[in-house]
Amino acid sequence: MASLAEIASAAPTNAGASARRRFLIARLLSYAALIVAVILVLFPVYWMLATSLKLPRDILRVPSLWPSRFSLANFEKLLADGQFLLSIRNSFIVASTVTVISVIISSFAAYSMVRFRYRFRGVIGRLILFAYLTPGSLLFIPLSIVMAQLKLGNSLQGLILVYLTFSLPLSTWLLQGYFRGVPRELEEQGMIDGLTRFGALLRITLPLSAPGLAAVAIFTFTGAWNELLFALVLTTSESVRTAPLALNYLITSDVLPWGPLMAGAAISSVPLMILYFVAQRFMVAGMTEGSVKG
Amino acid sequence: MTIATQNSAPRRRFGGGFKLKLFAYALVAPVVLLILGLVAYPFLFAIWVSFTDMVIGSTGNFIGFKNFEYLAGTATFWAAIRNTITIVLVSDVLKLLIGLGLALLVHQNLPGRGIFRSFLMLPWAMPAFVAFLTWRVLYQPIGGGINLILNQTGLYAGTVDWLGTRNTAMASVIIASVWRGFPFWFISILAALQSVPKELYEAAIVDGANTWQRFWNVTIPSILPVIIVTTLLSSIWTANGFEHVWLLTAGGPSDATMVFPVLAFFGMQTQRIGEAAAVSVYMLPVLAILVIFATSLMMRREE
Repeated sequence: MASLAEIASAAPTNAGASARRRFLIARLLSYAALIVAVILVLFPVYWMLATSLKLPRDILRVPSLWPSRFSLANFEKLLADGQFLLSIRNSFIVASTVTVISVIISSFAAYSMVRFRYRFRGVIGRLILFAYLTPGSLLFIPLSIVMAQLKLGNSLQGLILVYLTFSLPLSTWLLQGYFRGVPRELEEQGMIDGLTRFGALLRITLPLSAPGLAAVAIFTFTGAWNELLFALVLTTSESVRTAPLALNYLITSDVLPWGPLMAGAAISSVPLMILYFVAQRFMVAGMTEGSVKG
Repeated sequence: MTIATQNSAPRRRFGGGFKLKLFAYALVAPVVLLILGLVAYPFLFAIWVSFTDMVIGSTGNFIGFKNFEYLAGTATFWAAIRNTITIVLVSDVLKLLIGLGLALLVHQNLPGRGIFRSFLMLPWAMPAFVAFLTWRVLYQPIGGGINLILNQTGLYAGTVDWLGTRNTAMASVIIASVWRGFPFWFISILAALQSVPKELYEAAIVDGANTWQRFWNVTIPSILPVIIVTTLLSSIWTANGFEHVWLLTAGGPSDATMVFPVLAFFGMQTQRIGEAAAVSVYMLPVLAILVIFATSLMMRREE
């Protein structure tokens, strides 16, 4: 493999000591590069958490890497009027509803496309992939008009419907890959034992694809949780704001309320980052299989 | 219209013919209908709207290419073209180099590589809006983390308003979006590296290829398909990304970081929907090429 360590190990073995030294140097350089990269990756995350825990007046006046005085004042300020909690609740309602709907109907669609051969199957496959790659920046204008016509503008229901535009194609695309991995013999066995085809899907294929379903559910939930553009265009009243939107409106004021902003950023991202560390094994597998932006 | 399970032998057992066909279509129908209604129809509708003088509350009249001509006469539009191309090209190259470099490092048999991999993926797990809001705070001239570090390490003593200065705004936006976007490249390339057959390297060693030759003649050709798909997807997403520019600079200062999606959003805010739609539709030809190319490659990989 073309790696720094290999440059060393490829060296003639009769020059034992110098090869050993070169190997160690290569190792050391590799670790050094990786540690620098990890520091650069972690620094913004650290800065977010540190800023959120600083005393509000210290943020500007005493710029420092480490909070000189710890305080929860930013969190208190952010949560004081209940508006941010409401937006977290809205985000939670929208993201979980989208996830449930999306996982159910896209697993049906994916199953149909993997297990049956029929006319239009190829067309539908292409349509789903096109839909996945059609960017929101192209759809937000017409969708806002359509939602207004459906009287779903400025409502959580409207957001839920609109978020299906990105969650359904992705979920269907990913689940097709997982379902292909379930041997059809197992379903056939189940049907000999008296299950209907639908029963075989529910009792055999879906449970065997549990890691895939979990990955798809997480991607859908985080996708909806993180979405900003549609929410910005479709909602106007405070009562239906989602978390990204609530934070977006914090920065449109003249003075940036950094402390509360970073407190809100921490509240809305730390659960997801913990989820990532718990579930990364199949999230990463799903991501590389299906090309997931995240 | 014929329908059959992939393996024709057990077909009779499933109840066969018409019922099965109905079942297959019924399962796929909700997704197809929703995609037609929520993606395909709005997509075509956007193209129609771009040829009208629609404002909020009116249905609009067909006005031919007027919106497109009007846009082409504005400086902001040309700034958006320049900036969108710059962001896509520069950040793709940076993400490729960083992603490939880190993937090669992690791919070695280093003790602790799993931990490095987990941490390097962290920006991907962070919501985009959180990432860019955090970078916005980092870039602040007073109290921001970047200036603080530059000052404390003695690299630079002044105070830079990274996002508010024309010369630095674009670079700042690109750095933040590379930070958030490189993990996708890193993990895709790492997965590709891990699937290169060992035999290829062994054969190359037998043929006397040195490390560098093995990298160019074995590694790169083997991971090239993945790099191409990743480049296409990343370009589509970056060109249409909204958050990175919106949350960092909102296109400023004086259009220095204006990009298409933000321009379309501003058009929407001023209620001139026809014009706003024309902004998006301008991107369509290039976007369509990238999407069609990416779709074919992804479908082929799936087979």
